[in-house]
Amino acid sequence: MTRYPVEFIASFAQVFLIVAVFSLAGLTFADENGRLGQGPASGVVIYGFVLFLFLSDTLWSIGYNIRLEQKQGTLEQLYLSPASKFASLVSRVTTILVWTGLLCLTSAWLMTTFLGKLPLANPGLGLYILIMSLAGTFGVGFALAALTLRIKEAGQTLANGLQFLFLILCANFFPFSALPAGILAVSRCIPLAYAVDAFRSTLMGYPPGFPELAPIGVEIVIVTAFGILMPALGFWAYRRAERRARMTGSLSEY
Amino acid sequence: MRLITISRYRGQLALDLVMPIVFAAMPILLGRATGGAAAADNFLRNTGTANYVAYMLIGSSAFTIVTYAFWHTGYWVRWEQETGTLEAIYLAPTNKLWLVAGVALYSMLRSLISATAAYLIGSAIFHVNPFQGELLIAVAFVVSGLVPLLGVSFLFGALILKLKQANALVNLMQWGVTLLMGVFFPVAVFPPMARVLAWLFPPTWMVNGVRSALLGVGFFFGRWYRDMAVLWAFMLIAPLLGAWVFARVERNIRRNAGMGEY
Repeated sequence: MTRYPVEFIASFAQVFLIVAVFSLAGLTFADENGRLGQGPASGVVIYGFVLFLFLSDTLWSIGYNIRLEQKQGTLEQLYLSPASKFASLVSRVTTILVWTGLLCLTSAWLMTTFLGKLPLANPGLGLYILIMSLAGTFGVGFALAALTLRIKEAGQTLANGLQFLFLILCANFFPFSALPAGILAVSRCIPLAYAVDAFRSTLMGYPPGFPELAPIGVEIVIVTAFGILMPALGFWAYRRAERRARMTGSLSEY
Repeated sequence: MRLITISRYRGQLALDLVMPIVFAAMPILLGRATGGAAAADNFLRNTGTANYVAYMLIGSSAFTIVTYAFWHTGYWVRWEQETGTLEAIYLAPTNKLWLVAGVALYSMLRSLISATAAYLIGSAIFHVNPFQGELLIAVAFVVSGLVPLLGVSFLFGALILKLKQANALVNLMQWGVTLLMGVFFPVAVFPPMARVLAWLFPPTWMVNGVRSALLGVGFFFGRWYRDMAVLWAFMLIAPLLGAWVFARVERNIRRNAGMGEY
């Protein structure tokens, strides 16, 4: 990443711009004292944004990068090397962990200057939920990589679509109470929605009305299961898709 | 030709419609959740209209138009470089102006259709009337805003040719202009220097013109024809400036590394 200075700086600056856009958008609803109405708005938005950053990067970095290797014609060469395929996938995740983690810290700090003080209760449990949520999103990334091997160019559209779908269904930038009943019912079927809810509710110290989807004990069980099962499931799906691509000769097909 | 190509990607076309609605939904839902019953009153005090749904939808639709101009027109040369077809295009005995005009026409058509459809569908979803205020003036602002936007996308295309790392730049620029043109908020919230910068960016006048015509938030210079005059001035300056800068960068690259270098 350090070899691409424009990309390095751009990705950093981009987060600042996103934060500024949504913070200023939120402030258009501020009352005459400049306060953002009822409820713990800053915690909801900032902690939701942190998980969104990881999810967004995971969807793009794992799935879409496989496609990029196909486009550039380097995927077959990578497969010819005697390196572990799992390591190849995980290496993409490692960059995300370090870089996106850094972005999250700075964006959270920046957002507090716009939206007010950030609550920070139960940091230990919050960290556990974050780790489990990240493991789960990496699993989603592996599964998307598998799908990309299958659907090729449409993988980019799929990653885009999933990103926007999750933004609404997982309510990263607003409380779940803002969702209409029909959409909320769909959100309740998505483990990642519980991850978002549990993560921000825990760090906000469970203010009245939070967590919104289920009692925190239930949410932690769901998030733990998501964090353990999804990577295994995603990698299994990837190996199957890869095997199929090698058998049909479509691994480097562009 | 490009319209025929994109018609084969139905998922992408569906995303064209969904994206602006989802984009607008985030601040709308945040406002509803945090503002509660006072959301509309607070929004009226801060922006000049209580209709925050239409305000956000107009902003996100304008964002679509601007983003597409960057992705389709600005990124076009880079895309041809990546696929290895740029030198072949340059060898064809065709005036490059027609090539660029074709790409721009494609971008404008696709973005206009997407933005209009997203605005109408979004209005239906959030139960607001999309046909309010001075509709014809709003349309005039959109149409007048497209030409200077084309000029800005040429400037951006020149930057991409020079620096090459197109994806990172387009991503950065699309959020930069989102901030600059006040997609979800009035540019009056900016400090003076940033406000001047926003006024130098033609889409700021387009989006404020549409909002003022439909929602009555107030034109920058009080009357619609004064704001329109500024947009017309941009209409003359921006394409000429953009084409000149693009031609210079292009000539430099042809003299040195060559257009096909990837």
